[in-house]
Amino acid sequence: MLTDASTLPIHRLSFKAMGSACEVVLTANTAPEAEALAKAAIDEVLRIERKYSRYTSNSIVAQINQQAGQGSVACDTETWSLFQFASQLFEKSEGLFDITSGVLRQAWDFRQPQLPSAQQLANLLPLIGWHQVVLKDQTIALPIKGMEVDLGGFGKEYAADRAAQVLKDKGVTHGYVNLAGDMRFLGPKPHGEPWMIGIQDPRHPDQVIATFPMSQGGLATSGDYERYFELDGQRYCHVLHPQTGWPVKHWRTVSVTAPLAVLAGCTTTMAMLKEAQGLEFLESTGFDFFAIDQAGEVHVHS
Amino acid sequence: MVQVWAEVAVAVTKHAPQLPELGAALLSAAMALPCVMGNAHAESAPEKGVFSFKYLNYKERQQIGADANTGNAATYSKSGASAFDDRIRVKASASSIMVPINAEWSMSGTLITDSISGASPAYHTEALTGMKDFRRAVDTSLTHYLPNGTITLGMSHSGENDYISRGVSLIATRATEDKNTTWTAGVGINRDEINPANRIVFNETKRGTDLILGVTQVVSMNDIVQFNLGYFNGHGYFSDPYKIYDERPRDRSHQTLQARWNHHFSELSGTSRLAYRYYTDNWGIRSHTFDAEWVQSFGNGWSVAPALRYYTQTAAKFYVEADPSLSPFPPNPPANAQYFSEDQRVSAFGGLTMGMKLTKQLNLDTKVDVKLEQYGQKGAWTMLGSGSKGLAPFYARSLQVGITHSF
Amino acid sequence: MRTKAPVMLGLAFALMALQGCMHIQSVEPWQKGNLAKPEMTFDDDPLERGFKEHIYSSKEASAGGSGVGGGGCGCN
Repeated sequence: MLTDASTLPIHRLSFKAMGSACEVVLTANTAPEAEALAKAAIDEVLRIERKYSRYTSNSIVAQINQQAGQGSVACDTETWSLFQFASQLFEKSEGLFDITSGVLRQAWDFRQPQLPSAQQLANLLPLIGWHQVVLKDQTIALPIKGMEVDLGGFGKEYAADRAAQVLKDKGVTHGYVNLAGDMRFLGPKPHGEPWMIGIQDPRHPDQVIATFPMSQGGLATSGDYERYFELDGQRYCHVLHPQTGWPVKHWRTVSVTAPLAVLAGCTTTMAMLKEAQGLEFLESTGFDFFAIDQAGEVHVHS
Repeated sequence: MVQVWAEVAVAVTKHAPQLPELGAALLSAAMALPCVMGNAHAESAPEKGVFSFKYLNYKERQQIGADANTGNAATYSKSGASAFDDRIRVKASASSIMVPINAEWSMSGTLITDSISGASPAYHTEALTGMKDFRRAVDTSLTHYLPNGTITLGMSHSGENDYISRGVSLIATRATEDKNTTWTAGVGINRDEINPANRIVFNETKRGTDLILGVTQVVSMNDIVQFNLGYFNGHGYFSDPYKIYDERPRDRSHQTLQARWNHHFSELSGTSRLAYRYYTDNWGIRSHTFDAEWVQSFGNGWSVAPALRYYTQTAAKFYVEADPSLSPFPPNPPANAQYFSEDQRVSAFGGLTMGMKLTKQLNLDTKVDVKLEQYGQKGAWTMLGSGSKGLAPFYARSLQVGITHSF
Repeated sequence: MRTKAPVMLGLAFALMALQGCMHIQSVEPWQKGNLAKPEMTFDDDPLERGFKEHIYSSKEASAGGSGVGGGGCGCN
């Protein structure tokens, strides 16, 4: 890079992916150059979205789910390593982080304030359990018809890391990738000050409750306000416990910074799932975090 | 000294050196993902700098009038108890700092100051003569991180009132793609100047070249081994000017072979650390060193590590055996001997060290440790032939207290 | 030869260490959690190693084994 990056203007390029508003922020000499760089990053995000989407019929995830109860599906290196990572997370969270728990979507439709029946959940729970999945010779098999894998648990964060890597390989040293709040940073602002990232107040969507100064690494947030409904004064959020099938309740919001977005994302999810033990879990990772529990009490480590 | 040690689990330890176990385990799990950290196999400078300080209190003594063969004291002091003569006492402070400059470069520096006082024998273990000295040593190094390896340039300088040592070194490491095998090669050159206070010689020098070749191999999730081959060649003044009857060859070369093995026992939260070194030189000295340590982790960042070391060496070809019956006169070297020495350190003996180290991780960035060791050296303890006779058993106690902090 | 026994012992010790090597496994990055512990590395306390080498090389005739460089001294 012949130009001193500290004198370059900051470009923000917004786009839509994974059902949400996203943006790439970086420094570049000219707008066309910024667009070319961002396009490379956005292409990578869209590639991952297409490959791992539940919806597009030719995605590998759709193929694997379609073969549930029938046979195994061969995985390429990238997919295989994502499943290896999911296995590690399953182990490290003692079974709480389980990418087969996506079937619970069928019992919980957050657009309507309606609780599932005990029967509905009883039908779905046997389909959940990563330990049942057969991983062998770079193939995966879901043993029971109706089982599903869903990479939504860390797919967005993984895409943020990959997109950031694309930019890094192209020499970007100041900027970040933001996929609906899952972020990966490439370097501070041009003059060296960190990016000040506001964390949304879980009960007041237009207010910021905390700020993280970020220059490197990943930042992710999970909360009970992203998708939820309230019924009889009780909030039911989209983070569902794989063993009970019911939403978790203990945390209003958890934000974590870690060397990678994918790490930050899994940590916030695992903290939400561990409920009351989530605080001890967060402390034991050594990552910086900001969390607010149901009583409104703030817990921080930095 | 610029140490040859190639980190194999580099990505985890260097990017997050002080992450507690869960964080480090999650990070290493994320390494499974393709290219989330670019060339995830690239070496890069650590993210945090490290500052360390350690204090050493060392005291040695020898047993009066003891017969080295039996290890029993042959004569007793008037009080009836076996008596000891104090020898050297050292109080040393070492401070070191390592700072990453950017992802590809890091620098480090170490400053050591020693305060040495006490007495040492003029020959064998007799005629203890008082001395007092102060030594200051500085080591600096610069490391460059390349995609699959590192290069480190080091410089050292050590000075005391009668001795100056200067050295440079270059060490290169290269790892395989999977980081499970790392090769190391290093060369060091030193030039020392000796100007003893007793002026027995004047402006003497000695030069040497050190070479090392090593390989570190990850054998399983819980096993790692290292082999090192060393070679040294030096010319100049190797004698000890403070000893009566000491005239050593003006050249010295030695070769070493070292093997090390660390094994982690998950169920026990413990780690065994074993090492063996074979040494041979052109002065006729051969030695074996066996090191064994057990590191036991407890909760809350505590760990305890008992350690054992056994050492045995043969005497130099030109070593002149002691003869206490001639006391207070030193034995004459053989007539026509070109080289001779009556220094206990080139006699034949065995040495045993027992030690215990206690470590506490105070928080993510800070660790404190204390280590106590007791060393004994006796001719009778050798396993290589028969030990040198007529030397008083020698004992040393050392206490070290240290702190390490990442920033 | 009187030196044969100790040399054999030393070799036996080295072979014991080598025995671990006979089953060299390919370890993936995400399996290196234990290997990253300080006690599993070979130089987790450089200042302690510095003191140790200095003391032993002033009380015994052997030197070296795992590194190069370093200052000498007129230690007695």
